[in-house]
Amino acid sequence: MTSTDLSDRAAPAHVDPTPIPSNGPGSSALTRRPHDDELLAARLVPLRCKGQWIAAAAVVVLFTMLVNTLVTNKRFQWDVVGHYFLREQILKGLWLTLWLTAATMICGYVLGIALAAMRLSRNAILRTLSFGYVWLVRSVPPLVQLLFWYELASLYPRVSVGIPFGSEFVTVRTAHLFTGILAAFVGLTLDVAAFSAEIVRGGILAVDHGQSEAAQALGLGRGRIFRRIVLPQAMPAIIPASGNLLIGMLKATAIVSVIAVQDLLYSVQLVYQQNYLIMPLLMVATIWYIILTTVLSIGQYFVERHYARGRGNSARRGFWDVTRGNIPLFGRSRRELAGLS
Amino acid sequence: MTALRPRAATATASRAADDALVRVRGLQKSFGTHRVLHGIDLDVREGEVAVLLGPSGSGKSTLLRCINHLEKPDAGFVEVADEVVGYHLSGGRLHELRPKAITRQRARIGMVFQQFNLFPHMTVLENIVEGPVASGVARRVATEEASRLLDQVGLGGRGKSYPRQMSGGQQQRVAIARALAMHPQLLLFDEPTSALDPELVGDVLAVMQDLAESGMTMIVVTHEIGFAREVADTVVFLDGGRIIESGSPGTVLSNPTHERAKAFLSAVL
Ligand SMILES: Nc1ncnc2c1ncn2[C@@H]1O[C@H](COP(=O)(O)OP(=O)(O)OP(=O)(O)O)[C@@H](O)[C@H]1O
Ligand SMILES: [Mg+2]
Repeated sequence: MTSTDLSDRAAPAHVDPTPIPSNGPGSSALTRRPHDDELLAARLVPLRCKGQWIAAAAVVVLFTMLVNTLVTNKRFQWDVVGHYFLREQILKGLWLTLWLTAATMICGYVLGIALAAMRLSRNAILRTLSFGYVWLVRSVPPLVQLLFWYELASLYPRVSVGIPFGSEFVTVRTAHLFTGILAAFVGLTLDVAAFSAEIVRGGILAVDHGQSEAAQALGLGRGRIFRRIVLPQAMPAIIPASGNLLIGMLKATAIVSVIAVQDLLYSVQLVYQQNYLIMPLLMVATIWYIILTTVLSIGQYFVERHYARGRGNSARRGFWDVTRGNIPLFGRSRRELAGLS
Repeated sequence: MTALRPRAATATASRAADDALVRVRGLQKSFGTHRVLHGIDLDVREGEVAVLLGPSGSGKSTLLRCINHLEKPDAGFVEVADEVVGYHLSGGRLHELRPKAITRQRARIGMVFQQFNLFPHMTVLENIVEGPVASGVARRVATEEASRLLDQVGLGGRGKSYPRQMSGGQQQRVAIARALAMHPQLLLFDEPTSALDPELVGDVLAVMQDLAESGMTMIVVTHEIGFAREVADTVVFLDGGRIIESGSPGTVLSNPTHERAKAFLSAVL
């Protein structure tokens, strides 16, 4: 309701002409019944939570202290950070981290969607296979898997292509096959596959069964039902978890440094093992990881918004609305609260 | 509408005497050990409206779902336009059809659900064109026809809305338009008005009555006795998975012979 609405309203017929006599000094304001005009003219003051202000103040103080120590503590050696930040060596490692993440996520999700479809199929063998795979891979730490693939040569010195139990056509020595980078790719992809299978399966289960029945009754084929009807509706449930997995994977690729794959972290390590400037160089890696994660989070927001179609307006709020809403100090303005905007 | 509707395959000489569009024979269906349908026989001629009545759990939905093969029968068969639904006969056996062939059969049998089941991530127009586009109609042609169908169900100009922005009655009319867009030979309705507020029921029933008058063949599960009385050609009363009464609305609704039917009708009326 706007203020003009209020003032346009006809004055009420009944207005008490005589104020209630006061009983004593000070008490009149408490007992006197306010005039309607007074109520209508009064400004609206939304409820302010004191606790929120105190908490916000504490956060600001802590944040200032953090910035202060980052800037004033000479041992962070920001000049060194700046010097190495865009070095070719570092950028090469960054590039490897990026494409290794992208490759493992894409291949992992292709496998994961297939595993989810297997798990939801009517075929008991496929269901069991999928379940067994997810169970096994989730039980083994990724670092162990990585080392396992890296050391595969000791288990199977030769891998050959041929007829099972029959003649062999091509034989490769695994020591050549599983280089560090391939072991990293295989290990992480299999890991992503197991986790994404569960994410995708959960999303699909969240879609009402009536949807695929209606699509069947409409004469849509099975592939089209999955692509056009079920998957888009599963997306709102799949994306937040997948965003998590992607960001987790971006950072989890750092474990490949243990098998001497030159990712962002390992490139940084190579530098500081020579010049012992450990902290500044770790800051270089940290800042890069923060930048990448920030970019991915923003991307996730836009993808989520895309799949919010048809879910009412609240899910389609603009980027700044969401950001402001999440920062208490920049919450909804008084104008908005009064419904004037 | 009538002009666009593909005619049923003209009855072959051997079927000349028996020209029902839908023929259900000896249909049985169990869920686990629970027998839901005990041998149903049902004929619906082209252009006819059959209303299925019966208490909750009597197997009305199951029968309807067997007709477009959303449920597989255990015994017996359903034939629509001289084609057995879901199977083909060869060498004295009924072999289950490939998904593609079943999809093709379903495209000619429209279905409207109690819960509407519109696709919430698509606009009304996208909902309606999805089926035709999937079956190879050009999107532009399908969109033009969709607008026409929206006019027909009294929702002209609402094509850009999303289902959640519409009332239940409007959604159900969109669902009817979506089914019509496939030019079905047969329309199945499973309690199309049961999820609606009373004041919205009339709009949906009016659209269904128009369809019946335009010659659409329909099988309708409903508790709207008024609709059955005015629009149905046949009323079929199901109880415990068996048809216990069937005939013209006048006979079945006014003079039911079976005790269960009498009890049910006196409760509903
Ligand atoms: N998928 C299923 N699995 C197990 N039992 C089922 C299944 N579908 C239906 N049934 C059972 O079959 C019986 C008939 O169900 P159906 O839905 O056909 O009844 P209905 O006549 O449509 O009832 P209503 O008027 O309540 O919709 C019920 O006892 C129900 O519990
Ligand atoms: Mg039912």
